[in-house]
Amino acid sequence: MIAQIGLSILLAGVLVYAWTEYRRAPVISILSILVATAGLYFVWLPSHATRLATLVGIGRGVDLIIYVWVVISLIMLLNLHLKLRSQAELITILMREIALANARTAEPNK
Amino acid sequence: MTSKHRKKPDKQSIWIAVAAFNEAAVLSPIVSDLVRRSYRVVVVDDGSHDATGQIAISAGATVVTHPVNLGQGAALQTGIKLALQQGADYVVTFDADGQHRPSDIARLIDALVDHDADYALGSRFLGSSRGMPLGRRLLLQAATWLTRVMTGLRLTDTHNGLRAMTREGAGRIALRQNRMAHASEILEQIAASGLRHIEVPVTIDYTQYSLAKGQRFSDSLAILFDLSAQKLHR
Repeated sequence: MIAQIGLSILLAGVLVYAWTEYRRAPVISILSILVATAGLYFVWLPSHATRLATLVGIGRGVDLIIYVWVVISLIMLLNLHLKLRSQAELITILMREIALANARTAEPNK
Repeated sequence: MTSKHRKKPDKQSIWIAVAAFNEAAVLSPIVSDLVRRSYRVVVVDDGSHDATGQIAISAGATVVTHPVNLGQGAALQTGIKLALQQGADYVVTFDADGQHRPSDIARLIDALVDHDADYALGSRFLGSSRGMPLGRRLLLQAATWLTRVMTGLRLTDTHNGLRAMTREGAGRIALRQNRMAHASEILEQIAASGLRHIEVPVTIDYTQYSLAKGQRFSDSLAILFDLSAQKLHR
């Protein structure tokens, strides 16, 4: 029970985080929400996890939950990569403005 | 392709945007040639470690310097922005490595005027290219096919850096792909703009120098990754 509550709090955190990311990266956000919701479901109904696990060829329900966590981690990693890209775009805009403000030319009257 | 019935644009309203990264060895004659033809030239020195910027100024260009290297896409966007700020009626993108011919610019501008288009895209497959290796030809044809699938534009040459656009056309271009994926991105934005485009035959001169600076197969994988990643975020 304690483990279930702990995991639920963590997964709820993932859900909230995914929701706040929706405007910036909708695809990632929806993926995270789907996976985290599935995680919550299996945490509270582990027998369903076991049934689904055997159905898709994974030994135990616990293994399935571990895999779900791995998937969540990978999605977060991708999200982090996208955040870095956004940062790079901002830096580009900033550098462009600096560069344009310092345009040089050989003509004396410019 | 001459425009007899329409007024030719004033050459001083035509800005040539050249992205240059460590091109000191070849840049001077290229910029001088463009300036001699009365075009306005902006060289975007993309964080070069050599004298690219100084050479470009001496040759008569306006020079904008990125403090660090950002990539060709970022540099072209900076060049286009400067040209528009300076009141350009036409903006031409031109490679710094010497594979484009300044004489082709007039043909592109004429094509814009004659066909009432906003984008004139150079095509080496309509025109000619000298010394193109087979591997390069196959890679370019694969890229052409992929662009057709992704943007719906039926072009013969999708990765040609020689393009001319009207002021309105240039204003619709907002490149986010800093590196090589900008060539595909610019076509996506042309397709999205709904403005008229036309392909114009141009000649590409392959030299040892330009080939060494050109794209490889591994680059195309990176381009595909960049293009997909951009679709996932704002």
